[in-house]
Amino acid sequence: MAIYSAGRRRTILILLLSSILLITLDLRGNAVFNGVRTAFNYALRPFEIAGEVVTRPVERAWNGITRVDDLERENELLQEQLDRQRADQVAAQAAIQENQELKALLSIESLSSFDTRTCRIVGSSPSNFDQRVEIDCGSLDGLRVGMPVVNDSGLVGKITALSLDTSVVMLATDPLYTVPVKVMASPASGSSDDESETEPEETVPSGLEVGDVTTTTTTTSAPPTTEVTTGDESATGESSESSETGDATTDSSVPTTGPDGSVPPGTTTTTTTTLVPPTRETGKLDGYGGRLLPRVSLIDESQAFGRIDVGDAILTAGGSDSLAPPDIPIGVVANVITRAGVGGLELEVELNADLDRLNFLTVILYTAPREAGGLG
Amino acid sequence: MRPAASGDGVLGALLRSSLARIIPIGMILLALQTTLFVEMQPFGVIIQVVLTFAACAGAVGGPDRGGITGFVLGLMVDLSIGTPLGSTSISMGLAGYVAGWCDVIRVETTWWFAMIFVTLGAAVGEIAVPVVDRFIGVDNAFVPETATIVPVVAVAAAFLSIPLVPVARWALKLRGPEIKLPAHET
Repeated sequence: MAIYSAGRRRTILILLLSSILLITLDLRGNAVFNGVRTAFNYALRPFEIAGEVVTRPVERAWNGITRVDDLERENELLQEQLDRQRADQVAAQAAIQENQELKALLSIESLSSFDTRTCRIVGSSPSNFDQRVEIDCGSLDGLRVGMPVVNDSGLVGKITALSLDTSVVMLATDPLYTVPVKVMASPASGSSDDESETEPEETVPSGLEVGDVTTTTTTTSAPPTTEVTTGDESATGESSESSETGDATTDSSVPTTGPDGSVPPGTTTTTTTTLVPPTRETGKLDGYGGRLLPRVSLIDESQAFGRIDVGDAILTAGGSDSLAPPDIPIGVVANVITRAGVGGLELEVELNADLDRLNFLTVILYTAPREAGGLG
Repeated sequence: MRPAASGDGVLGALLRSSLARIIPIGMILLALQTTLFVEMQPFGVIIQVVLTFAACAGAVGGPDRGGITGFVLGLMVDLSIGTPLGSTSISMGLAGYVAGWCDVIRVETTWWFAMIFVTLGAAVGEIAVPVVDRFIGVDNAFVPETATIVPVVAVAAAFLSIPLVPVARWALKLRGPEIKLPAHET
């Protein structure tokens, strides 16, 4: 038979059209396909378990040959890092405690408000182009498609497919991944007026050339900064505390007492808490696949925000359209890219979570306000 | 795929067809793909054993059988890993079809000749993955690592073809090389 016979053309055409039809139906959402997927995964499970058992010795031998040197080197680096971070941990714990108390006072929703499920990774995507993993929690554990997935370091991805007891997590580096984010300037970068007028520092991008990208950007409020000054005043015999939160201003005076409970004569402590109008820059984080860093697309550069620098923190923005609640740490700005024309800035983000070494993941049982409203 | 005897039920025809062998083999290979080959990544690339089997089916069975086998295996992969149903079918069907040229241009398929065409088919199939992704709306489908991924997958497919070609021949119920006549005599 010739390579291009009529029968062969017909076969190829039928296969191609079938594939296109299936893709179209699946992308539009099809309950039958979802059911078939679940059934097929059940049928495949015994094969996978058998495969794991049979191939484990081979995997271990392979890892022993290829990863020993890397692991030893990494172990040394991690030990150094651990020593450095022990000191920071104490300070961080105090800051977290203070942060939670302040949020509770202001009735701000925080991550601790949501239920979570800790799940183990049971598989990875066999494709070289997808960035997905499979976890051992499913709809029976309360998981839903779209729920954010984190580990101790920060955002990892989101749930994209569910069965009863397993789920597929799309990692933040997957080309299809996107989430609204906000850029939190480090204190130094946004405090100076001079700095806010200068051009952002341009750094070398890690991957491909920057193209024109259509993005959506909004500028909304940022967490408050708190300025506390303490000093001595003369001859009042009491301390005064003044705090201002948006429109609300609170002044309070409390007596300053010594260790024995007495009031030292002629001594006052003035504490001023000023919550400046919060500012932040928001945008959209997109995965770029492979080893490329995810990028945040921005349109407007808020003058109030100041300059975006390498090292600024990236957090989820939340909001009614976002599938993730606000303030999940994602990473830090690794590169600031200035795009041609009116493209604005684009930021490459170094993720906090090491996606190559994931074992346990935490799913935040969060439903976006819009979806929750729709369901109700 | 052999035609079913007239009067048979659909199930009987299915059981007698080569799909009854291809599907279980595909599930075994898929299990290996999601366990062993996800861990063993030479040069950071995941070897595509299911894609290789589709190409092997093409190399021993011709473009039609290769395309259909690739289509079926691609559906299984899509069902397993959650990619849009039919997307992997295109790339794997293409791999089987391209490797099938081997069976068309040579009467007796030797192991080294099949190896060459399996390599070619696997390379084309792996290149087709980001192309299909791009068509279904993935903006950043082409990654710089593609230049590494395709050669590694192709070379690995060449080595894997040595054990998988006989398996593909058994799965397609082919007994030794088939004698093919020129098109004008058929």
